[in-house]
Amino acid sequence: MAKGLTKAFKKALWVYHCNSGSCNGCDIEIVAALCPRYDVERFGIKLVGTPRHADVLLITGPVTRQLEKKVKRVYDQMPDPKVVICVGNCGNTGDVFYESYNLVGPVDNIIPVDVHVIGCPPRPEAIIHAVAKAWTKLETLEGK
Amino acid sequence: MANQTTKTTYQLPIGPIHPALKEPVMFEFEIDGEKIIDAEVKLGHVHRAIEWTGMRRNPIQIIYLAERICGICSFVHPFAFCRAVENACDIDVPERAHYIRMFHGELERICSHMLWAGVAAHEIGFDTVLFLTWEMREKALDLTEYLTGNRVTKAIMTIGGIRRDIKPEQIPKIKETLQYLKDNFEKLRHVYLDDKTFKMRSQGVGVLTKEDALKLCAVGPTTRASGIKKDTRIDQPYAAYGDIDMEYQTPDILGGDINGDVYDRIIVRLLEVKQSIDIMEQALSNMPEGDLVSEPKIPKLLAYIKKTKGQGIGRDEAPRGEVIHYVKFDGEHENPYTWKVRASTYNNILPWIPMLIGEQIADIPIVAASTDPCMSCTNRVAIADNKNSKSYMLNKEELHKLSVAKTRRLMR
Amino acid sequence: MAKTTSAHLDANGLVKYFKDEFKTKIKSAEVIKRIGGSNKREHVNIWMTIDKSIFKNYIKHLCDYQFPHLAVVSGNDYPKEIELIYHFSLDFGKDRKEISLNTSVFLPKSKPEIETICDYIPGALITEREKQEMLGIKVIGIPDDRRLFLPEDFPEGVYPWRKDEKGMEKLIRNLHEVKK
Repeated sequence: MAKGLTKAFKKALWVYHCNSGSCNGCDIEIVAALCPRYDVERFGIKLVGTPRHADVLLITGPVTRQLEKKVKRVYDQMPDPKVVICVGNCGNTGDVFYESYNLVGPVDNIIPVDVHVIGCPPRPEAIIHAVAKAWTKLETLEGK
Repeated sequence: MANQTTKTTYQLPIGPIHPALKEPVMFEFEIDGEKIIDAEVKLGHVHRAIEWTGMRRNPIQIIYLAERICGICSFVHPFAFCRAVENACDIDVPERAHYIRMFHGELERICSHMLWAGVAAHEIGFDTVLFLTWEMREKALDLTEYLTGNRVTKAIMTIGGIRRDIKPEQIPKIKETLQYLKDNFEKLRHVYLDDKTFKMRSQGVGVLTKEDALKLCAVGPTTRASGIKKDTRIDQPYAAYGDIDMEYQTPDILGGDINGDVYDRIIVRLLEVKQSIDIMEQALSNMPEGDLVSEPKIPKLLAYIKKTKGQGIGRDEAPRGEVIHYVKFDGEHENPYTWKVRASTYNNILPWIPMLIGEQIADIPIVAASTDPCMSCTNRVAIADNKNSKSYMLNKEELHKLSVAKTRRLMR
Repeated sequence: MAKTTSAHLDANGLVKYFKDEFKTKIKSAEVIKRIGGSNKREHVNIWMTIDKSIFKNYIKHLCDYQFPHLAVVSGNDYPKEIELIYHFSLDFGKDRKEISLNTSVFLPKSKPEIETICDYIPGALITEREKQEMLGIKVIGIPDDRRLFLPEDFPEGVYPWRKDEKGMEKLIRNLHEVKK
């Protein structure tokens, strides 16, 4: 596990997944991380259906114009302390869609991002590693 | 004393970020009590301007752009694009490449249908079946990674052939995976088709009649489940499909009538998994020797395309239906003059409306998921009309809870 | 539905069926065959160009023969005109005997209008809406006029697929730019 985690996990992370125009490759790998092969549920991490219950936001996809305001709204609905993980190359830099008339740029321009996961799509192991890093960051945030 | 209340219907917008599907799409329903009277779909949330971008890049770059149109059908779009370019510029493809292309197409179909089966079970409320099916899918993904290097976006397509070979030392592992899938197919069939609750939730729900499917030009398993025989692999002998014995997979193969409901769509997809395993075995045993690409040097290929003038279409059968690409070259540039993509769910959106009218709200997730929509292929948008005055919002969690609650009610 | 031809026509017979009815309004017709696989089985494509004035009657004539499957409508933008290509397919369901029929119509840019085919083929609604917003043509009689893929606040009069002055040059964003 990542350095800095205490031996007893104080809380289990609840994760909300938001798709802002991606090709679904990253979304499938996120759901595959929950399945018996990688089984991230044994740590208590589960997917919830509303941002108001969530600690971690997983964003995939380059943000299209139609979804820009909605992504901001989802971010505002999450209670503090919160962590944002941007999964996949599209949200980080734009990847192959670097020139387009309907995209509003990397997710960085819209909401602050804490952990970047690169890959097209990133493997489930990389996503679990990112959630562990987010955990460390949350614990330091809560400690303040 | 006049009665002050009047009977009105409610407007129910759902989306674009919502629980039924992992992709943004917006629905608006007009409901009366629990029944749906009218439905409308709005698209456009995933519109990334791919066709416009493609007209500014050369054909080899477009292959990698086409792969990222959709992560689940990521072999089909480059396949159809390469076929269109080969038809437009008269480029030949060696026979061995035809067989390997067909093999990878069928492997992707197995992975995609298993993914769908898990999602459908999750919508009904059986999470255990989701884990069971996706565990089987992991074995097929292991085989994909062994042969191509990656689980999802494979990058083995090129114009005029294919980039990676199937070597003789890889064949034992392929046979072992195919045997595993064949052995477990019976388990899968028993869970989906013999279970009482699955039958209760899916029979008679979301019916699409044969006339509607024909008039609205539906494609893929959605239309085969309504009894129409439409399958690009059998209609047009492209790649090596002309050498294989195949039949149209309609629900009456298992006996019984054809109703066009959700249960029939489950039957068609399971039958197709079995058919894909059979095709892969036939391809392995008949594969001819030969080259992999007709022109290995890319600059020479691009120079040839730059001088050619022509137009062509390429069609392929994705797990969801027919995919068609149209390409036109003008003889002066290597970028195509026009590139048009039409993914399969494009044609499957209009059939949603006759399928959803008359159903209950709790059935929306399973009916929408039964056509296996892939929003990023279509850049869907959901639109809703605001005809009456009242409207309220249902969020993601509540909709999924309603669907699961209905299953629990039926099980008692 | 009016009279239906009961005879089953092959590719050349189909071309003759249309030429008999419309004579000189069919500007060109070409039958191309492609092969696939080791058994070298072939499939047939027909590319036809027709005059705009007979468009609606052409569609009716086609539906009288057999109800086609409309795959998509694609478009090309030339300096003075717009070309629309309708991709149909006939004879699906018969083992390996499908015929692809591609019909192209030219519209002058001064008056880019065409009739709708939604009354014969209801499944054509989505592809006609897409052409309206992407190429700037007007489809007369379309049941539903709204935008399909572009957002609501996209400027009017800008058509993404056009290569002339109505194109997109001002709205492009490069995602790799770093904001200082």
